[in-house]
Amino acid sequence: METVTEAPVQSPSLVRRMVIGRNPKRTMQRVVILVVVCFVIAKFVLLPIQISGPSMLPTYGEHGVNFVNRLAYLFHEPRRGDVVAIRLAGPSIMFMKRIIGLPGETVAFHEGHVYIDGNLLDEPYVKFPSSWEHEPRTLGPCEYYVVGDNRSMPQIDHSEGKASRDRIVGKVLL
Amino acid sequence: MKWAFRGALAIIIIALAVWIWVTLFPGPEQAIRKRLAELAQLGSFAGNEGQLAKGLNAQKLATFFTPDVEISVDVPGVPRQKISGQDELLKAGMAVRTYLSSLKVDLLDINITFGPGKETAIVNLTLKVQINGEKEFTPQEMKFALKKVKGEWLIREAETVRTLSRLLNEKREISHRVGSA
Repeated sequence: METVTEAPVQSPSLVRRMVIGRNPKRTMQRVVILVVVCFVIAKFVLLPIQISGPSMLPTYGEHGVNFVNRLAYLFHEPRRGDVVAIRLAGPSIMFMKRIIGLPGETVAFHEGHVYIDGNLLDEPYVKFPSSWEHEPRTLGPCEYYVVGDNRSMPQIDHSEGKASRDRIVGKVLL
Repeated sequence: MKWAFRGALAIIIIALAVWIWVTLFPGPEQAIRKRLAELAQLGSFAGNEGQLAKGLNAQKLATFFTPDVEISVDVPGVPRQKISGQDELLKAGMAVRTYLSSLKVDLLDINITFGPGKETAIVNLTLKVQINGEKEFTPQEMKFALKKVKGEWLIREAETVRTLSRLLNEKREISHRVGSA
């Protein structure tokens, strides 16, 4: 009587199973989907940014990494106190600033303090002393006044001023 | 599986054909982008650039501009500077190459708007400059007005743009001229 022995089924090695799984085709599909999702999120939803420069100290340190939420202002307009990213010609390099003045308001600096429509603005995020002075400036209907938290810098070296709404790319996430 | 392979192959062939076409016969937008890439490359220099190379590169850089070029630089903390004409630009270029040990120029986020007939163009971009090999950089938004002269795109006007304006009614001179370009 002849006996037939079944050939042992070659199961994929543990390393191979861990790297590409039991079903390589399905793993490939998952990888493609993951890459596409990451690309779409990084391009259109959460822009990864690296912080450069001291103007947002001490709230945000230099060379830190953060994200800009591009959908933050989909259902409401930017608010006072929001830290936002402001584009230059495009999103490759952006200014990271805090909104202190809203459209239509008048913003002034006196002895380092901010006055909105003549009223002192409470700014708990400003930790360094400042002596900035600037005459009142009234914002247009689509303009926001933005400034960094580090007011110990000379005002001339600090990029601050009016930003039009279309320049605000989104809100800094963390 | 066969149709998927054929489809992928067709996409690759089409992409290759488009790339070859664009490389051989660049449209005005590609031509301007290429020109600006060359400008950034020529504007950058390393510490080991010799005297002869300095002069040649500064001269070559000046050829990217019209003879009556107007360059206006208005940045905080520095008095407004104006450069008029290729000769002044050449002198300024030589001075920069002499006083700085190295410079790296990048032109980012290039947005091009063409005038009627595609003979003029307004370019809005971000200039990124790294001086003397430092990691820190200075970003500056710029606006260029270009003109096609004998098939070459030349810069006839350049000015800095204040991204965050401090004044009440800040004028943007070049953008004002887009309509008449």
